[in-house]
Amino acid sequence: MPAKQRIIGIADLAASADPDEQLVAYSLGSCIGVALYDPVAKVGGLLHFMLPDSRMDRKRAETRPALFADSGIPLLLRTAASLGLEAKRARILAVGGAQVLNAPPSLRVGERNFEVLRKILDELSLSLDTAEVGGTVNRTLILEVGSGKAGVRTPKGETKYL
Amino acid sequence: MSRREEILAKSASDRYLPPSRLELLRILRDPDASAATLTRAIECDPTLTANVLRLANSAYFGFARSVASVADAIWRLGTRNLRQLVLTTAVSPMQKQAVKGYDLPPGDMLKHSLAVAVGAEKLGRLLKVPGCDHLFTAGILHDIGKIALGTFVELDAAPILELATREGLPFVEAERRVLGIDHAELGAFLADRWNLPDEVVEIVRWHHDPEKFGGRNPAGDLVHVADALCILGGIGIGTDGLRYRPSEEVCDRLGLTEAATEQALSMILLGLEDLEGAFS
Repeated sequence: MPAKQRIIGIADLAASADPDEQLVAYSLGSCIGVALYDPVAKVGGLLHFMLPDSRMDRKRAETRPALFADSGIPLLLRTAASLGLEAKRARILAVGGAQVLNAPPSLRVGERNFEVLRKILDELSLSLDTAEVGGTVNRTLILEVGSGKAGVRTPKGETKYL
Repeated sequence: MSRREEILAKSASDRYLPPSRLELLRILRDPDASAATLTRAIECDPTLTANVLRLANSAYFGFARSVASVADAIWRLGTRNLRQLVLTTAVSPMQKQAVKGYDLPPGDMLKHSLAVAVGAEKLGRLLKVPGCDHLFTAGILHDIGKIALGTFVELDAAPILELATREGLPFVEAERRVLGIDHAELGAFLADRWNLPDEVVEIVRWHHDPEKFGGRNPAGDLVHVADALCILGGIGIGTDGLRYRPSEEVCDRLGLTEAATEQALSMILLGLEDLEGAFS
């Protein structure tokens, strides 16, 4: 079991090459956790973004780029690349993007988050390998840097490996 | 004795707040209390005074010069705002603790409460909906019933969650069906016993059923939507998770848009960072 847990809060990101480390994004509701893992370089990265589009508030995107998908993903890729990750080799996973019950359109930010995420990856000629998104369940995403194993945990307590 | 009566009877003991705090809440409620009476009542509790000043000096309130004393705080913030700060500070110790039943680790209840208070204020400004004098306080206290109900939810967590999942119900409704009472009703019961303002009691009571406000309580509408936003954003959520049903009628009444939802979420996060230091 990896000994060290690094919690990636809302609007935060990290990359790691430490095999004993676990990167974790707790309580993903409409937010999305994006995990990258390069099995050759054995480098992982995790982004916990809250909103799709930084055009809403450019100044905030400068101070907190990981708040938004469009400013967070390029930064995640750069941060992980600085440790040797190559995006073309990496597995890319997304978890979260859920809704509350019977959400009216104004509250469907989780869906917009996922749409924009896919569009951005598309523009970068990258694609998702696995996604566990939508529905009305909150999730926790765990990436084990040593093995590259990624798990998603729901409130029922079971961890499902992706 | 029904389960509901048992829960009400056990929650009626005032073990959540010390007598001195209850007395302070009584004085805060009195609209005729003078600034001098308020100052005396606050200053006889040194811990409370220190915490109120820390909160007044947090980045959230954005004063250039530091607020040095209770008298200074009254002068700079006005008695109305000071009452809200004192109320927030007086109840925050119990909100810092872990909440059983809902599986909230220490700090998460307070974080969620602060986020909803900030969210209600920010949404009010964004949507140009006037709240009321007690909007921030009502946001802070909306889930206070969870502190008392948690013990009972813990005993019946499996049937509550099972019912909510099977029938696609909001968690609060499953609480009501299994226990005979939910955290909103129990919270209003406590808030009333603690002499909190009637507006606050009303918002705590109906924050999950805002149709009951019938459009006459815009502050209640704001707290309801702010709560939905914080749950959506995963800020301090527990066993009940995303099992929250926002009222479409209320979202329409407030004129909530996609853009406003996103702006408010961003503002909640920023406001929370500005406030958190004051409670660490």
